[in-house]
Amino acid sequence: MSSITAPSPALDPDSPPVSASRGRRRTELIMLIFGFALIAFAFANVGYSLKGKLPSSMVEYLGAFVVITVLGHVAVRRLAPWADPLLLPLAALLNGLGIVMTYRLAQQGNLLSAPLSSSATGIQVVYTAIGVGCFVAVLVLVREPRVLQRYTYTLGAVGLALLALPALLPSSISEVADTGAKIQIRLGSFTIQPEEFAKLALAISFAGYLVAKRDVLALAGRRVLGLDLPRARDLGPILVIWAASLLLLVFESDIGTSAVFMGLFVAMLYIATSRTSWLLLGFVMFVAGAFAASRLFSHVALRFNIWLHPFSGSNPSGNAYQLVQGLYGMASGGLLGKGLGGGQPYITPLVQSDFVFTAFGEELGLAGLMAILLIYGLIVERGLRAAMSVKDPFSKLLAGGLSFMLALQVFVIVGGVTRLIPLTGITTPFLSQGGSSLVASWILIALLIRISDTARRPPPRPIQEEGLTQVVTLQ
Amino acid sequence: MNRALRRISIAVLVMFVLLLINVNYLQGFEPASLATKPNNARAFEAQFQYQRGSIVTSDGVTIAESVPSNDVYKFQRKYPHGAEYAPVTGYDTLYSQSGIELYENSVLNGSDSSLTVRNFIDLLTGKPRKGANVTVTINSKAQDAAWNALQSDTGGKPGAVVALDPQNGAILAMASYPSFDPNVLATHNSKQLIAADNALLKQASNPLLNRAINFTWPPGSTFKIVTSSAYLTQNPASTPQTNVNSPTQLKLPQTTHILTNNDGEVCGNGSGQVPLLTAFAQSCDTTFGSLGMTLGGPTLNNFAELFGMNSKTLRIPMPVTPSNYVIPPSQALTAFSAIGQYSDTVTPLQEAMFAASIANGGKLMTPYLVKQVTASDLSTVETTNSTQLSQPVSPTVATDLGQMMLAVVQDSDGTANAYNTGAVGFTMAGKTGTAQNGANNTGLDDAVFTCYAPYDNPQIAVGVIIQGGGYGATAAAPIAVQVIKAYLASLGK
Repeated sequence: MSSITAPSPALDPDSPPVSASRGRRRTELIMLIFGFALIAFAFANVGYSLKGKLPSSMVEYLGAFVVITVLGHVAVRRLAPWADPLLLPLAALLNGLGIVMTYRLAQQGNLLSAPLSSSATGIQVVYTAIGVGCFVAVLVLVREPRVLQRYTYTLGAVGLALLALPALLPSSISEVADTGAKIQIRLGSFTIQPEEFAKLALAISFAGYLVAKRDVLALAGRRVLGLDLPRARDLGPILVIWAASLLLLVFESDIGTSAVFMGLFVAMLYIATSRTSWLLLGFVMFVAGAFAASRLFSHVALRFNIWLHPFSGSNPSGNAYQLVQGLYGMASGGLLGKGLGGGQPYITPLVQSDFVFTAFGEELGLAGLMAILLIYGLIVERGLRAAMSVKDPFSKLLAGGLSFMLALQVFVIVGGVTRLIPLTGITTPFLSQGGSSLVASWILIALLIRISDTARRPPPRPIQEEGLTQVVTLQ
Repeated sequence: MNRALRRISIAVLVMFVLLLINVNYLQGFEPASLATKPNNARAFEAQFQYQRGSIVTSDGVTIAESVPSNDVYKFQRKYPHGAEYAPVTGYDTLYSQSGIELYENSVLNGSDSSLTVRNFIDLLTGKPRKGANVTVTINSKAQDAAWNALQSDTGGKPGAVVALDPQNGAILAMASYPSFDPNVLATHNSKQLIAADNALLKQASNPLLNRAINFTWPPGSTFKIVTSSAYLTQNPASTPQTNVNSPTQLKLPQTTHILTNNDGEVCGNGSGQVPLLTAFAQSCDTTFGSLGMTLGGPTLNNFAELFGMNSKTLRIPMPVTPSNYVIPPSQALTAFSAIGQYSDTVTPLQEAMFAASIANGGKLMTPYLVKQVTASDLSTVETTNSTQLSQPVSPTVATDLGQMMLAVVQDSDGTANAYNTGAVGFTMAGKTGTAQNGANNTGLDDAVFTCYAPYDNPQIAVGVIIQGGGYGATAAAPIAVQVIKAYLASLGK
């Protein structure tokens, strides 16, 4: 039997190149420009609200931001032409809004809470440049996501080392003065939060490990009470990660990151094995660990107390001050917000980092917060879509894990500041002021773009002659 | 793996839906209740973005106003007369308020429901929102006299003065010493504010306390107005001329204690029976101790409460600390309670209410401080109507007591004879009190005076208490005289 295939329009020499029509790069650029318009509008809004005129520095900041992100777009065009067109514009929009909020908080404060330093906005733009630089570097260095699988154990060791580093360093270098959490490395006036990068390294490492071991994890074991329990010897790695996350919680006072790690690992284990027992086991172990920690360590117990009783006794003026001020800020914003520059977000301590979501709530209102949450939701959805459509199991696992981690991080910090769950201080991806989180978030987006590029790349065409030659398949 | 990924997607969806629901709940339904929660500086600071209404006296003196400012807030609160009017205005700081600033806050900051329509019209016409002005009943001349006298005539002793219009209960003067300058608390610099607040709180003299309505002292002999009212009401046949038992020494039952008059003096002619009026004018403790034992604690309590004591609900609109009469457990202590000792304590406002009831034919009008609220467009939002609080005595008894209080000032051996018509230029009726205090009465006596004037057409009733001032006639009465003189002069009488 033989069949004759008609020439595909894409192969027509007169039609535009394939990459332009199916790679959706033009859509990406249009979305990016739309994002620039929103950010420019927000910038102007802050200026008119606070000073009655356009911010004098708007051209420099916005111009630099546009150049940086357009370079990112050009890199995607060249290095990942098939990538999902929404990921870059969505990330850039959040990053730009974060810069606007940093600018806004640097313009106004009150006498109890001083405004951010006047250089904060410029520094945030520099971090954006570094972040997008790393984004491009990842696209250059990682042409195929599968190559990362080779570094499973190297990255695992690097990740654990980065995690443990602040705990091992003296407090003078690693402790965050405001919160007492030991999560940073201070070099002069410059600080790095290694856990932001540890998360990425460990996600890649988990993906590599689980892809190699998933059959044995999924199949061997006993069935007890309708649950497939894993073999004791296969419990080793999950116990190591569980212990590491609890140690993090105890020695670095960093409950939020420990929850994100545990959630990431359990979710990836589940994706790899499709075994509900792992999910339950991981969940039960984390809850049991957190419960025990709340009994044993006062700083964990305090988080629960603040969560349950923020308005009682001395809490509103003491331990729960930050949380209730954030809630008051969101309440004063109401449905439509006070407008950028119209609220008093600076009243809330550390509003530029952990509580930046409440600052947006105060000034952009419920409408703005829903939009921001939907942007995060869209990024996660695009990531999960890439995971589902990519063929290679390692890439699938990595994309699923990274997307879920981003979702979990948003859930932990937004849920924390809106009192849905106990508050644990972690950064809000792209929006919080600070470099480590921003750079790590851009690397995460680069990995998702690389995987979506692989997933959407059309299969290689059979070698054929040019022109209108008919291809005849013989059987 | 895709099946697991799909389930993870559903979990992610659930997480985002939870966040969206929670944010909707927080910003859609909770703002009203969060706005009133403790430490909500935003809700509090919102008021500084509008021009807050002024507080003015009934004769047009501005005692609190908001003026444009160039710092973090658009307006700065100013108190042009500072400490003098602090007991009236209170303070309005970044974090808290007191006095009229607190109790009329919703009209001053324009959020009161009575101003909603006006605010909406201002919004439509593009006029900036402004709070309503509060006119208080204070007469600036009477207030000046009270404050100056408290500052200069008492040697720095703590004390307070309240003057009432007996016919309607309007508070004409309310001064307390020592006082504080609310301007130092109106700063927008929270560090300065905390420092100033701490400095005020540390002072042993407690300048933040409004002694006119929030501190009580023993009324001493001024309580004899209550005892006499009870006696004359319970014995309708008796008059101020009726002879009553007035021994030089009164042996108290079941104790070895003997009650004597001041310095052991005889009462009247020393016969042991003197007219009630004489005993009142000379303030004989033995007479009223004896009357009190006959009347009994419960009767005295009834009359004390009719005059406004023991009331936990009195507001002017600031809550007034209750003046206390406690029914004594024994006859001996009843004798003491009848002469304003034992557990009797009163505010200076209560002292003014004693005289005001008698001056108004036995009708006690509810004291009030807010005369009227005026919107920023000068239309009247509300005016206070005077109400009667109680009727402690009948008009007849009030007339009798008026005569007795007149005798205190006009009789040659009355305790306040130094302030007779010839000496002060108007006819005043009053009652002195010199209250013992401290362990075994070792403390300095508190000086108390309650009075009204003019006698035949009462315009003003005054209560004065000077802590540790000594004799009521020498420390408290001169202050009352100056307040009355200033007020009557302002009326043109």
